[in-house]
Amino acid sequence: MKIEWMKAPTGRRSFLKGATALGAAAAMPMGWAGHAFAQDAGTLRVRAYGDAPNMDPAHSVGVVEEEIHASIYNKLIQYKPGSEWGWQLDAAAMIEQVDPTHVKFALRDDIGFTNGHGAMTAEDVKFSFERIVADATESPNKPDMGPLSHVEVTGEREGTIVLNEPFAPLWSIALPYITGNIVSKAAVEAAGGRIGSDPVAESGPYLRASWSPKEKTVLQRNPDWKGDAPAWDTIEIYPIDDENTAEIAFEAGELDLTRVSLGSVARYRDGVPNGGTLVENPSLFYVWLGMNLDHPKLQNKKLRQAIQHAIDVPTILEASYFGAAEPSTGIIAPGLAGNRAQGMVAPQANIEKAMALLAESGETNVTLSLDILNKTTYTTMAQVIQAMLAQIGITLEINVLESGAFWASGDNEDLQLVLNRFSMAPDPSYATAWFTTEQAGIWNWERFRNEEFDQLHAAASAETDTAKRAEMYQRAQDLMEESGAYRFITHEATPVVHSSRVVPALRPDGLSLLRYFGKA
Amino acid sequence: MLSFALRRFALAALILLVAVTLMFLMIRAVPGDPVQIMLGPRATPELQARLTAELALDQPIWRQLVIFYGNMLQGDLGTDVFSGRSVTQIVFQQLPFTLELIFASIIWSAALGILLGAYAAAHPNTVIDRTVAVLSVSFVAAPAFVVALLSLLLFAVHLQWFPAIGVGDGFWDRLDHLVLPAFAIGLSWVGYIARLVRASMLEVLGENHIRTARAFGLAERRIVMVYALRIAILPVVTVIGVGMGFLLSAAVFAEIVFARPGLGKLVIDSITTRNYPIVMGSVLISTGLFVVSTALADLINAWLDPRARTST
Repeated sequence: MKIEWMKAPTGRRSFLKGATALGAAAAMPMGWAGHAFAQDAGTLRVRAYGDAPNMDPAHSVGVVEEEIHASIYNKLIQYKPGSEWGWQLDAAAMIEQVDPTHVKFALRDDIGFTNGHGAMTAEDVKFSFERIVADATESPNKPDMGPLSHVEVTGEREGTIVLNEPFAPLWSIALPYITGNIVSKAAVEAAGGRIGSDPVAESGPYLRASWSPKEKTVLQRNPDWKGDAPAWDTIEIYPIDDENTAEIAFEAGELDLTRVSLGSVARYRDGVPNGGTLVENPSLFYVWLGMNLDHPKLQNKKLRQAIQHAIDVPTILEASYFGAAEPSTGIIAPGLAGNRAQGMVAPQANIEKAMALLAESGETNVTLSLDILNKTTYTTMAQVIQAMLAQIGITLEINVLESGAFWASGDNEDLQLVLNRFSMAPDPSYATAWFTTEQAGIWNWERFRNEEFDQLHAAASAETDTAKRAEMYQRAQDLMEESGAYRFITHEATPVVHSSRVVPALRPDGLSLLRYFGKA
Repeated sequence: MLSFALRRFALAALILLVAVTLMFLMIRAVPGDPVQIMLGPRATPELQARLTAELALDQPIWRQLVIFYGNMLQGDLGTDVFSGRSVTQIVFQQLPFTLELIFASIIWSAALGILLGAYAAAHPNTVIDRTVAVLSVSFVAAPAFVVALLSLLLFAVHLQWFPAIGVGDGFWDRLDHLVLPAFAIGLSWVGYIARLVRASMLEVLGENHIRTARAFGLAERRIVMVYALRIAILPVVTVIGVGMGFLLSAAVFAEIVFARPGLGKLVIDSITTRNYPIVMGSVLISTGLFVVSTALADLINAWLDPRARTST
């Protein structure tokens, strides 16, 4: 049976003619060819790891929101872009530590808030800082402000920050990071004391022009900004969780800057598409293998030490990070006070020593479990560790957990070994805070309890002599390693690619300081 | 027809109730303290206690369920813990992005699938028919995520014809941003629908009423377009209704790979952060969508073919 239907329109020539016309008609208004060339010369397009629904610094949950807050608000001081940690003046015309518990400041006289909320005054600084530590605010960022007592207003734009005790992280976290953002007292009070997903008054070089949840945030140059003019008229921030998607978007010319996966570093070292550049920064994250000291199977210190010595860190890094990350010596990254030049256990495995320690321990037929997060990096790492421990006769079972279940492991008393990764702010106290006795069973999953460590953590926060402070943190990490509960692996790395039209302004750990981005 | 419609919507409501209740229980069975996960490591015990009470997590599970349904019936799906925005607002803000992706995928895959299937059936055992058969099976066999990645690399990175990420602004830009994701998740449906239409069409073309129409001397084009295709297309309507569920799940990965906002991405993010109000709000809406679309497909089917009204 052969049916001749729709003869005229479906003829080969007609079909081709029709399809071509349709294609052309559809393509023309869409600007079909050359999407990469359709970019606006004044628009910077960057990727963020997630969405930023919260415009209240007191309730900010981390770097993603801080990237925006740092552009639309001002702080007394901001991080200085570059390869070394440091700060520069922002809203402060002057700032000075007059004694260990008093910091005097004077504000610039040319900063104002939007929506008619007037000039920035010392009252705004007082309000912004004191609301972080006020119980009523319930700010999760309260610890960053440390022992803040109050802010004394001594003039319209002058004041003194008063601390209950010396607090070294004031200069590395409290003032230049999340809690340092200055909001308008009048605007926040008018909004009922809390800022939601819309900023109530902005003062920075950029204003948040729009926010499309899970799609993008658009910042636009603040026309009333009197400081150094920002280079870009508009910044579009795209929340993209998946690193591979971000890489494809960058290569398609739709992003000017993104962090890339460590697995892609080797490829980008050979050349970045579209004339772009790869910047390899160290990271502050710390990754380690932890052992639960409360678990009956891990009571024997010699067994724990055997595990420490059986693990070859360079092999793990080669397999999991494709050689793009360096071994770590502890929880405090290079560049911060307290980083150890070397650990007590070398990064390389010492199988002979490990076997000797295991024999000394008297443990036989050891079977342990290792809990990991369901990411390729950790499954690879776990498999390598499994093979290494098998060499000395330890059997390892791997439990792969999704993120919610994994991050709730703190109170899991059955936890044995765990591969963990914590984020970090640029001050050593931020790292040691999670390993105190008070944190055992909460975020101290190894249940490491050491009185000397606790004392060092408390004392080092108040120590203003950098050299002495560094020694204290180094000793604290020695204590962790001596316990046999930790095998430090890496601080990872932050490889970033950017297009040829951008001069990025990055923190030493590779995170963006958008307000300082320049044009090539 | 009215009694059929009433029975069908009653069934839809029951399915919705069971599905949402199951999701409610499953999310609570997942390990991990939701309050701790939601608020992060630095939340004060007071804040944790307050949120626990606000979400009624200190209540027995049956009571939580009653509270959830009670609020839902009043149109209150709760408040997002992170932004303080209403869940209804958040879900309905994301819904259009998912719907436009699903509809774009359905429209192009159904149009092409029906065309290919009908054309193949009209030319059985010819080169065209065999080519369509090979293409259809290839389309069905191609995993959507592979199609997505390859099309991104080819059309977005190499040729730069279409954008790789986002949803765009304005009608044409939005349409432009839909091309690749709709192509990726719709391609396998082209093959599936083409096979379905071809088989169905061949069966219909062999039936007595078609032979009678031919005997009366009706034009072949009229026979195929008016008498045969109308019946042959019936299974497609049902399949498209059920396909909404498939496309809803396919939209999840498309939203991740193409960095698009949408309901799928919202659910994934919310489950990871144990943001119960948003999880339940999203599940309610997406399950509702699926149930309504299958019910509508059945109704359309019954309207087109009266025999179907007695079968359910």
